[in-house]
Amino acid sequence: MNLFLYLDRDSIVHRLDPRTKLFLLLTSFAVAVLFFAPGPLLVLLAVLLAYGALAKSLGNLGRIWVLLLSIAAVSIVSWSLFAKGVTPLFWRVTWESLGFGVGAALKIDGMIISGLIFLSTTKTEEIVLGLIRLRVPFQAAFAFSLAIRMVPTIIGTAVTVTEAQRSRGLDLESGGPLARLRTYIPLLVPIFLHTLRNTDQLAKALESRGFGAQRQRTSLLTIGFHARDLIALMLGAIILIAFCFARFA
Amino acid sequence: MIRLDGVSFRYRAAPQPALREVTCQIRPGELVGLLGRSGSGRSTLAATLNGTIPHLVRGELTGEVRIAGEDIRSKRPRDLADRIGFVFQDFEAQLFSTNVALEVAFGPENLGVERAEIARRVAHCLDLVRLSHLTHKAPAALSGGQKQRLALASVLALTPQILVLDEPTSDLDPAGRRELLDAIRSLRQGRDLTLLMIDPETDEMGWADRLIVLDEGRIALDGTPAELWDEADRLEALGVKGFTLAKLAKALGAAGRWQDAAEAALAIRSAGWRAAPGAAERLHEADRRGSDGETLLELDGLAHRYPDGTEALAGVSLRIRRGEFVAILGQNGSGKTTLVKHLNGILTPSGGDLRLLGKSLRGQPPSVLSRQVGLVFQNPDHQIFAERIWDEVAFGPRLQGMSEAEVNRRVEEALEAVGLQGMGDLDPFILTKGSRQRVAVASTLATKPEVIILDEPTTGLDHRELQGMMALTRRLNEAGHTILIITHAMDIAAAYARRVVLMQGGRVVGDGPTRRIFAEESRVRELGLTAPPVVQVGNRLGVPALTLEELVGGLTRGAEEQGRGGGA
Repeated sequence: MNLFLYLDRDSIVHRLDPRTKLFLLLTSFAVAVLFFAPGPLLVLLAVLLAYGALAKSLGNLGRIWVLLLSIAAVSIVSWSLFAKGVTPLFWRVTWESLGFGVGAALKIDGMIISGLIFLSTTKTEEIVLGLIRLRVPFQAAFAFSLAIRMVPTIIGTAVTVTEAQRSRGLDLESGGPLARLRTYIPLLVPIFLHTLRNTDQLAKALESRGFGAQRQRTSLLTIGFHARDLIALMLGAIILIAFCFARFA
Repeated sequence: MIRLDGVSFRYRAAPQPALREVTCQIRPGELVGLLGRSGSGRSTLAATLNGTIPHLVRGELTGEVRIAGEDIRSKRPRDLADRIGFVFQDFEAQLFSTNVALEVAFGPENLGVERAEIARRVAHCLDLVRLSHLTHKAPAALSGGQKQRLALASVLALTPQILVLDEPTSDLDPAGRRELLDAIRSLRQGRDLTLLMIDPETDEMGWADRLIVLDEGRIALDGTPAELWDEADRLEALGVKGFTLAKLAKALGAAGRWQDAAEAALAIRSAGWRAAPGAAERLHEADRRGSDGETLLELDGLAHRYPDGTEALAGVSLRIRRGEFVAILGQNGSGKTTLVKHLNGILTPSGGDLRLLGKSLRGQPPSVLSRQVGLVFQNPDHQIFAERIWDEVAFGPRLQGMSEAEVNRRVEEALEAVGLQGMGDLDPFILTKGSRQRVAVASTLATKPEVIILDEPTTGLDHRELQGMMALTRRLNEAGHTILIITHAMDIAAAYARRVVLMQGGRVVGDGPTRRIFAEESRVRELGLTAPPVVQVGNRLGVPALTLEELVGGLTRGAEEQGRGGGA
């Protein structure tokens, strides 16, 4: 089972400089944070889906649709019930609270989708290079990329540990909240220790391959700005300004 | 030249030193096999060579380590990376790049090598390990053998003169192991590469220039494979398996050293040995005994598709009878583990049916099924969580809601069965891998399941631990448990299992008595597996033996034949 998100495809988005893609990612985050109403956030989602299609990365959505739907469901239901509004719809739900819930769902899902497209089209090595060019120290940039790489490894460990403990009869579904908390101890201890041991191995492997040997590190990959980056940056800026205009004017 | 002079090392907080006054020299271009039981100091010794000890592992190091005359104790691993390469057992932890080419480039990039030169090295090293066609693949998507060859290439790109391989084949299936060893062999051609290889399989090290056996941190034996050929007894006293073919030669009173099964068979035949009349029939007859228990597990067209679309099982049909000892063999990714995870409800089939004593298991959760089918996972560290062995073993019985008195009884019984009686108060994490594996087996045993499934129970165990673990499974089988094991160790399957199920691509492609399956050597090889040496020799001599004893017992020497010994 492959848990990594990067898709080795040739698309215009793949060819963009990582810094450009980082800018587009942050732009989408900024827009998502600016709005609360569903309308503009729906527009943002549409733009993101078009961007994802251009990036040939929408296939990855299939891997996280459960997550996206459950976030949407939780957010719509809870905000509908607890947010305040004036136009009653049914029971304690108002038009405003429902709208707020839908907006919050679109906001979070939009940010996740945007992050997904970024990781689907950008190698971690490119992220590192991009961050270095942005004057982030190499060690910090590399640590960031390792953190991204560790997520699938930890998920893999968690899956195996859960299966091993369920094989011994551990029932994760039954019991009250306190009992449930206790059932997680047999999961958390092995996951934590295994990850710790893995990290130790990784540190040895990294160092034995010369990690940190030289101040000036070279790179097989090259990055650089091209005409397409200029266009992408301008488009991103225009979208940002348009949304800001819509929000504040 | 590597030169160790009185090297001792004690891990921080360890009562005993791991290395004691080790003195030795390794010449340039030498291939040295490092052998020894677990805890004998093999990995510790290797770790002193590139500065992992003392710079990344805390402890007290004394003595001198010199490489090409230079004292390297003040050097960190990264400063030695261009001289000493390290390949580790665990491929998950040493591969971290997005694709194969970038993985190889990582080392030279760290050393500030020019871009054009990096590209040249990447192409060259991938060519050496025959992975050039996979440049853009993600390391995670490779097979075990490919991953380990990639790890090798990524180290070679640093152009080291010394290469240390710490149990590089332990997690590989026979085909993957063969691929890696072939790659290592071809490396040595036309270059002065010094190789130090830790390998638990003595039989795999016959091609080394020299074998060093460690025991309690000291060098106990040091010689060429030819010199250690006849030393099976001394090797096994040190917890290391002797050469299988040497043991065979000794049992037959033959002198000489045999490189492989073909050579052995030829020498044995020319020494006058023949298959005893009726030997094959007798062996086959013995197999028929005790294979008539009632049907326990029935699998009908079992299919499983993972969420990402991978078809892991494509219609598996099997009958397992009570009291059987079955080995499931096949390459990595052939569906073995996926198959057994269905038997205790961890996975739900996407097609087909499975029944236990006639009752369908579909939809039954593992919390219920684990009472009848126990599954011991490959790595005990994926399940051990308690601070006392006793609590760890009591976990299953307690989950089943047994009374404390019953739990007590079960735990004591289980600990005794695995040979850990009286050790209940110890912390499982201070035990060796072999003992942790026993704790895992005991914790399954405590719930008294009818079927016990062990997924690669011998990975990472040394010779003696492995023998102990397998003797334990045999005892459990004799006590009435039905045993299923998944293993890459063909000699274990041959010696212990009475039935073998061969898997490939999510299907069962062979199923029968172990003897009959291994008799079709070429078929076994086609599936990326290898018949063990004794079986290979036996097949050539017309004795379908699974163990050394069976082979020797099945041979006879005609009185008219002269010329003792034989051999090459």
